[in-house]
Amino acid sequence: MIKIKNFSYAPGEHEAEAASNSYLMSLIAIIVGLPLPIVNLIATLIFYLGNRKSTYFVRWHCTQALLAQLSMLFINSYTFWWTISIIFKGEPITSNYIAFLIVVIIFNLTEFITTIYTAIQTRKGIHVEWWFYGALSNIICKENS
Amino acid sequence: MVVLWGIIKHYLQRKFMKKIVIQGAIIIIVFFGTWISLTEVDWIKVFEVQKTVNKTEQKLGELFLETFEKTENKNILIVNAIDTIVTHICTENKIDREKIKIHVLNKDEINAFAMPNGHLIVYSGLILSSDIQEELTGVICHEIAHIELNHVMKKLVKEIGLTVLISMATGNDAAEIIKETVKMLSSSAFDRSLEKEADIKAVDYLIRAKVNPEPFANFLYKLSLEDDAKTEYLKWVSNHPASKERAEYIIEHSKNKLIKYEPILSIETWNKLKIELTE
Repeated sequence: MIKIKNFSYAPGEHEAEAASNSYLMSLIAIIVGLPLPIVNLIATLIFYLGNRKSTYFVRWHCTQALLAQLSMLFINSYTFWWTISIIFKGEPITSNYIAFLIVVIIFNLTEFITTIYTAIQTRKGIHVEWWFYGALSNIICKENS
Repeated sequence: MVVLWGIIKHYLQRKFMKKIVIQGAIIIIVFFGTWISLTEVDWIKVFEVQKTVNKTEQKLGELFLETFEKTENKNILIVNAIDTIVTHICTENKIDREKIKIHVLNKDEINAFAMPNGHLIVYSGLILSSDIQEELTGVICHEIAHIELNHVMKKLVKEIGLTVLISMATGNDAAEIIKETVKMLSSSAFDRSLEKEADIKAVDYLIRAKVNPEPFANFLYKLSLEDDAKTEYLKWVSNHPASKERAEYIIEHSKNKLIKYEPILSIETWNKLKIELTE
């Protein structure tokens, strides 16, 4: 799921810190923004936009963090509105809902742990590529752009 | 050479894209696969959700009922007569009789409403304003339909929220909220679609119980035409919108049913019931 790969160049201390911060940004936003799933995405997006002219290593990791947050936004938003309809609109609590909630929690936890791990590794200047998101970041983020 | 490099690059890009699509698809499949697999488990039973919901509803019913204790009519003849109507409706419609708890209150307003945990409140004003027993039976069926279709809890959750309801049921001091909630239950209608659903269900109940639904429709017409002086007492009609429209679809739904209708109570019991209430 997570692969440590060689980056095209060895990132400097400042780059490693900035890249690591892109992951930390989403983690802090999760704590602040719960239960609103949009908050972490906005925080990561702002960080991404702020670093879009930064070095390749920083941009790459900002992209990976943003993509991960974006996909989590869909399932978290769906869960959020489903829960709201139960609390305020009287929709029944079904086995389907609880099953969905369990899956969402598993996915969020996986993402949370992976983000912490990646933030630590990136801080050391180690390049970590996630399954699917890493490959997608490689397409979106080009070295010479 | 350049062309060959172009072909190789194109092939690699396509292969790379294919890899991303496959990886993305696997994530989606894992997500939905896990969800579908987990739906096989009866989580409602595992987490005892229904038990908690029932307990909350039971507690709320008791709390709301306390506000009416002083005005409840416990005259055996009256209670038995209304009980006979409810039992007949429940038996003919395979409704659990234990679920419906009927309470007659000494109030002049023409009103009846359902509360959580199957408590059905009927005001004496409603019984007295019914010229024939089928009118009263129709209203009772309408309220039983609200109970059976779980409209009461749906309305409560929508109006005041699940968290407040749980807070009330778990014993937090909320006398004012309880009072306001009871007022809301007794003096405001459900959504239009829920009212129609309850009306149609009520007609089905009446037909199965061999009670003519036409007087129920006529009752709506009659009360909507009452003079202004009485309006303040016409709670059940004033808080249920478009009485004429409702009467029309009740008639429409009940026509062409070739059934021999019979009253539930004898004429003597019905008359006695009204005399007891006027005394």
